[in-house]
Amino acid sequence: MTGDLLVIAQIAGRRCALSALDVKSVIEIGTVTPIPRAPAWISGITALRSQALTVIDCRRALGLAEIEWLTDHRAIVVAESGHSYALLVDGIEDITTAAGEAGQVPGGFGAEWSRVASGMIETLAGPALMLDLAALLAGPDSARHDIEAAA
Amino acid sequence: MDDLLADFIAETREMLEASGGELVAWEANPADRARLDTIFRFVHTVKGNCGFFDFPRLASLSHAAEDALADCRAGRREPDQQLVTAVLAIIDRIALMIDAIEAGEDLASFDPDGSDEALIAGLDGSHETSGTAGSEGGTDGIKEGSGPTLHAPAEALLISGEEPTAQSQSTGRRSDPAAAQRTIRLPVELLDRVMSGVSDMVLARNDLAHRLRQAGNQPTIDGPFERLTTILSDVRDAITRMRMQRIETLFGALPRLVRDLSAELGKQVMVDLDGGDVELDREMIETIRDPLTHLIRNAIDHGIEAPSARLAGGKREIGLLAIAARQSGNTISIVISDDGRGLDEERIAAKAVHTGLITAAERAVMSRDKILNLIFEPGFSTAETVSNVSGRGVGLDVVRQNLEKVGGSIKVTSQPGHGTLFSLQIPLTLSIIAGLTVEVGGHRFAIPQSYVEEIVQGTAHALEFTRMGETALVTFRGNRVPCLMLGEVLGVASCEIAAREPTLVMLRLASGDLFALAVEGIHNHGDLVVKPLAPAVMRSGLYAGSTLLDDGQPVLLLDVANIAAQHNLVSDTRTRVLGPLDDETATAAADAARAMLFTDFAGRRSAVRLELVQRIETAPASAIDRSGPRARVVIDGLILPLIGLPDEALTLPRVRLLRLSDGACELLYAVREVEDAVELTEALRPVPEDPLAEAVTLIGGKPVTLIDAHTLFALHGEPPVVAARPRCSIPQGEWSRTILAPLVASAGYDIIAEGEADSAAIGIVFEDMFEVAEALGRTLPGRVIRLRDQPEAPAGCETVYRYDREALLAALAAANHTGEAA
Repeated sequence: MTGDLLVIAQIAGRRCALSALDVKSVIEIGTVTPIPRAPAWISGITALRSQALTVIDCRRALGLAEIEWLTDHRAIVVAESGHSYALLVDGIEDITTAAGEAGQVPGGFGAEWSRVASGMIETLAGPALMLDLAALLAGPDSARHDIEAAA
Repeated sequence: MDDLLADFIAETREMLEASGGELVAWEANPADRARLDTIFRFVHTVKGNCGFFDFPRLASLSHAAEDALADCRAGRREPDQQLVTAVLAIIDRIALMIDAIEAGEDLASFDPDGSDEALIAGLDGSHETSGTAGSEGGTDGIKEGSGPTLHAPAEALLISGEEPTAQSQSTGRRSDPAAAQRTIRLPVELLDRVMSGVSDMVLARNDLAHRLRQAGNQPTIDGPFERLTTILSDVRDAITRMRMQRIETLFGALPRLVRDLSAELGKQVMVDLDGGDVELDREMIETIRDPLTHLIRNAIDHGIEAPSARLAGGKREIGLLAIAARQSGNTISIVISDDGRGLDEERIAAKAVHTGLITAAERAVMSRDKILNLIFEPGFSTAETVSNVSGRGVGLDVVRQNLEKVGGSIKVTSQPGHGTLFSLQIPLTLSIIAGLTVEVGGHRFAIPQSYVEEIVQGTAHALEFTRMGETALVTFRGNRVPCLMLGEVLGVASCEIAAREPTLVMLRLASGDLFALAVEGIHNHGDLVVKPLAPAVMRSGLYAGSTLLDDGQPVLLLDVANIAAQHNLVSDTRTRVLGPLDDETATAAADAARAMLFTDFAGRRSAVRLELVQRIETAPASAIDRSGPRARVVIDGLILPLIGLPDEALTLPRVRLLRLSDGACELLYAVREVEDAVELTEALRPVPEDPLAEAVTLIGGKPVTLIDAHTLFALHGEPPVVAARPRCSIPQGEWSRTILAPLVASAGYDIIAEGEADSAAIGIVFEDMFEVAEALGRTLPGRVIRLRDQPEAPAGCETVYRYDREALLAALAAANHTGEAA
């Protein structure tokens, strides 16, 4: 993985990395149309040119407690199994190069983070948590998702 | 797979499809050289192509068929039924082998019933012993006698002598369209990508249009933008057509299917295909292929009788199966009709009762139509003996399910002894749908138009909005219909005012269930390009997709069927049949008869049975002629008796009339106000003292007189008389032409020139002209209306001021009436 380009963003106050190959673009987020009865971590849909993007609040998708996070006015556009998503994060920092493989740390990253992180990765801009996009987009665990949907 | 091989398979399959119809046509007339050439070319191409690949079995089969056909072309042999059948069998085998090759099977071990040699022998056998070898060739069911020799040998020789010209002519004609329309093969996936790209372009254009509007008029940009719009819509049309396929591709295989089935079942069936040029989304064609095949099997197996039975029934020996496709707007309707024995209502009902689908009591009140449509219910099959043609365990319920999956529907109608008609409705494409945008609590949502039955606006009071427990009900056309608050469904707070005066979207589900969806407003409707939603959003079960509005705002498309299901509004199979039945049979069932409630000119609330009411007419007071003993009115060129008018003159400019009919006679009943269609639920109390009243009953707690239709028609009914439009001559001159003529014409008179007036016509003349004519002793029309120029009438003069419209019309009516009486 050394040499791979990574997009570094702050999520819930933590430094996270996404593979630049997954990231299609970074957009200014416009109006987000909320989706009634959708899980809380889905903020809504927004239009990118002629496409409709599902807007994901990454903090909630992690299943973290509700804190008013600072939100970047930009969002990261990613595509996963044919659908496009816009990821809401605290802030988008930089694009940098990986300086090693993703590895585990003793003690893990905590329940919420372990679910979505494939490991810690050293980058030229310092260490970051490598995110597994599919796991992030799956949302908090299904049992919890059901409760939210029913609420 | 090797590209070359893939091309070979695709080409062969294409030719197979194309030649399906040709084969049957050839069989009907084996002497048809053009058909023979086509089929020859097919086997010849297959044989040639086999040389590139190592398919010895395919090569030997096509070679044998080619030889036999070449003999026919050269006149060395006469094409007969056996040869046709043998060639068809070989072509079928080729199709099977092509399937096997595509599936990657080893052709050497591929072994369907019967060896290739038997098929080839079938060709030869008929060649040598024309009488008996047929059965070897697998021609069971084909009557030997039906394949007589078609040419005298001398004739054959003659034709073979002409062969070079005949052949070049026919090939020349046949290859022409092919040259004009060159085709290439593309993967469908590429088409889909282009299609979605164009959809995106349309949406991007809409976005741009919106921004341009915001920026104001910019002539330098607007021009090119307009051009872009035009080009884009052209491209979009073309791309949409690319995904489209003529339904011909589906129809092409049908003659063969019908032929095989009818041979197998010992029936004679002629197939009539219509509308093959109707285009349909490729995917959709695949979706309807099986349902269509199934219906055809059914029609031949159960619908069309055996030839002897047909003859006994006074029909032609050959049954007719007509399949027609039509496009209307965004839907395609396919109608499959046969002239067979029709559906047996009693048997279907008995079967349905037997299988527990309905109860005997329910059956008693069901209309024929409802009973017939029971055949689409799961677990229903009327065939007492399961044949290998249509009794395969898949019933018509599967057909309906498959169609409903893509938003289609199916209906059946049938005339006993005359035939059955299946009518399929399917949407044109899946990705672009007509939709309606609704608003609730500041959010917008789209609803597929196909579900929308009607939009009702009104106060909660007028809709009799009630809450039963948690369920809301509204009254729509006298029925209580469950009502969902979209705001509640979605958990969106809706504003107070809107809740009191909701807009109801009446939605009809494919199952026939009706429910109302209360929304706050309706925005617009149009074609929506539907995009799939992320799985996490789909899981909520409320949305079917998303689409972008013109202003670039994304909206969600509501999954109407699923929302209804979540709220238990979709009845199960049993009640599905009975649900919509209630309102239909209500008119038929005596205890729940319906009546039209109205207030007459005497101020009485009366009702007349709804079956009698043809429609509600509104006529201008001037159209009513009261000069005779019985008032009359002219409606749609018919003179109809009119009753119910008040004794005094009418003060209203227009009168509401109920047009009543007993089937033969019509009469109009003038009413002050039409209220509503109501159900007669309370007891009917007879009123012997009033001959015009059938009974008095209570509607909504108030007494209402039910009009006695029998007396009414006995006294007043008369068959309508077509009103010969009375003729009227008008003076010459600009004023007459431009002002008088339209008035007279709109009052129902034909305008004729002054000179043509005969005694039957009414003449309108100016007073001064009348005097001149009288003085000169000219002939005048029998009845004359004299016009004067001054508003004040000179004493003792029967003239009408030319701008006194009422007086003029009255004079016309009076003149017309005296003419009729005379």
